[in-house]
Amino acid sequence: MKPTLPAFMRTTTFRLAVVHAVMFLVFTFGLLVYLFYSTAGYMRSESVRELNGEVQALAAAFQAGGMDRLNQTVIERSSVRGPFFYVLLNSEDESISGDFDRMPEAAPEEGSIETNFNYQTLNRNNELETRAANGIIVRLPNKASLMVAYDLSTRTQIVNRITRTVWTALPIGLAMSFIGGLIISRSAARRAEQLTRTTDGIISGDLSRRAPVVGSGDEFDRLSERLNAMLDRLEYLMVTTRHAGDAIAHDLRSPLTRLRNRLEADLRDGETVDRTESIERTIDEVDAVLATFNAILSLSKVQAGTSSRFEEIDLSALTSEMGELYQPAAEDAGLAFAFEIEDDLTIDGDKSLLAQAVTNLLDNAIKYTPEGGALTLRARTTRKGEIELSVTDTGPGIPAEDRERALRRFVRLEASRTRPGNGLGLAMVDAIAKLHQGSFELSDGPGTPPNVGLRAALILPKEV
Amino acid sequence: MQILVIEDDPEMAHFVQRVLNEAGHTVEAVHDGETGLTMARSMPVDMLIVDRMLPKKNGLDLVREFRDSGGNAPTLFLSALGDVDHRVEGLQAGGDDYLTKPFAPSELVARVEALGRRGGSETPITTLKVGDLEMNLLARTVVRGEESIDLQPREFRLLEFLMRNAGQVVTRTMLLEKVWDYHFDPQTNVIDVHISRLRSKIDKDFDRPLLHTVRGAGYRLQA
Repeated sequence: MKPTLPAFMRTTTFRLAVVHAVMFLVFTFGLLVYLFYSTAGYMRSESVRELNGEVQALAAAFQAGGMDRLNQTVIERSSVRGPFFYVLLNSEDESISGDFDRMPEAAPEEGSIETNFNYQTLNRNNELETRAANGIIVRLPNKASLMVAYDLSTRTQIVNRITRTVWTALPIGLAMSFIGGLIISRSAARRAEQLTRTTDGIISGDLSRRAPVVGSGDEFDRLSERLNAMLDRLEYLMVTTRHAGDAIAHDLRSPLTRLRNRLEADLRDGETVDRTESIERTIDEVDAVLATFNAILSLSKVQAGTSSRFEEIDLSALTSEMGELYQPAAEDAGLAFAFEIEDDLTIDGDKSLLAQAVTNLLDNAIKYTPEGGALTLRARTTRKGEIELSVTDTGPGIPAEDRERALRRFVRLEASRTRPGNGLGLAMVDAIAKLHQGSFELSDGPGTPPNVGLRAALILPKEV
Repeated sequence: MQILVIEDDPEMAHFVQRVLNEAGHTVEAVHDGETGLTMARSMPVDMLIVDRMLPKKNGLDLVREFRDSGGNAPTLFLSALGDVDHRVEGLQAGGDDYLTKPFAPSELVARVEALGRRGGSETPITTLKVGDLEMNLLARTVVRGEESIDLQPREFRLLEFLMRNAGQVVTRTMLLEKVWDYHFDPQTNVIDVHISRLRSKIDKDFDRPLLHTVRGAGYRLQA
């Protein structure tokens, strides 16, 4: 069975605080060890250096003035209060001068030895106290021996004081680091909690909920932004799916119902009906339903973003080809057709879909622009460095308030109800623009009222 | 032509069979992939018409295996899947053309006949001739009677396609696919306009027209 911890112990906040505190502990301990060794080592090497200095000075005194001078120097120095002790013995090991009357250890036959020893002394409170010292014993050329020693108690005291300070500070530091950890992780946890609440809201069906973006640009903001972008996409997909359902119901059911009613009527009327004509009309109507159905399918596929083939395409060539394909049709409709196509425009995209988008725009422009009008097909780089793929006409245009609606599937504006078409053309162009991370804009064209014209432009980023 | 139709939907198979019979072809229909492959290998066939989704062995595998075993009869895919993706897959598997369901009978006949003709000519040709209209593919010139006809590059390709399929109906969709390489149906009659321009160049000053409109189907170039 998995051991269960109390709820507060399972929170990230608590865990982070504990980790923080443990890390502080490890760090402090490491620092202490380092401080101890480096201080102790430094003090030791320093005392050895000073000891050597004393020995050198005394040796110099001996050389300059023999035993008497040395004796005098030792007496002078040992009377000065300081960390050094001196012992001077003659060749028979009898005490001559210094702080002690004998050596802690026998002097070597020749040269010097280093020694560590303890000695006892009265401290400030007149209590007997044992202290550690470190000294050098030297055998002089006349067989007398000299010791210079250094009291180690200062060093020990300093190290002890450091250790004590650290041990006192440790619990305080530990508590503070735990609290600090709690505070820091609490703010992170609060952000996470907000995300949890957002997702809870979405799970319960409110797809309009969005994760808060504070504007600090930190990881949470970035996560929230990505999450929100994902939600936007999801919402868009859901809305389009719902629309597709409505659309299928509307645009397929009504012609099918109409067809069925007519067939029934034809059947009832029996002999009086021209059978061939009835069947031909039926085929036409079924073809129209199939075409709409296929258009819905293609639109859904593009909107879902599946099964597109992205490759580098020569947009200039593609647009010129489309222009060339449509020019005769435009001229036949009594329209002046101009191309403004920049050279060497390339883009990563789906060639067939982009061609489809241009086709839809040109189809619309030719369909709605009255005779004598003008049509311009453009492909160019905008000032912002994006690629504009647009068709401008001098038709009736689309009133500003209807433009957004015109991009929805199956919306056929009043002016177009009487013309053939399934109302999916602009929705398809919009979906194709979105698939290429671009946008589709409708604005006024260059015409004069009442035919203000329409500029329908795909704005595509160069890098998809 | 001896045509093998491999299609699992009996109604569709029957429809294809009837349409092609009426156009004067002998048609055998089978309803699953394995039988289809066996038949294609054992029977002398001039053409295969294969549905993409078949029981036992799908259309793509069938054509791939048929090609691997040396079968070279031209193959037309029939499919409800009409994306460019699917089309490319079909052609990569060894298909020669691709027709999306639903289709008009005239479209099917036109494509079958265009395919059947393609299988025949092995040697490269440099001139095409229909009546007194002559096209030189190397010099890229067109002459009708004594008169030289000046064509735009696209008009030249359009006429070339019509001449290669002379005597047969070509549909608007076929023209858009083969001459322009687009695989969708524009709502505007763009193709008709191109045809009428071409017609004005090759037929206008001559007594006998060569380029005919076939109502409800497409066009036919015929002397």
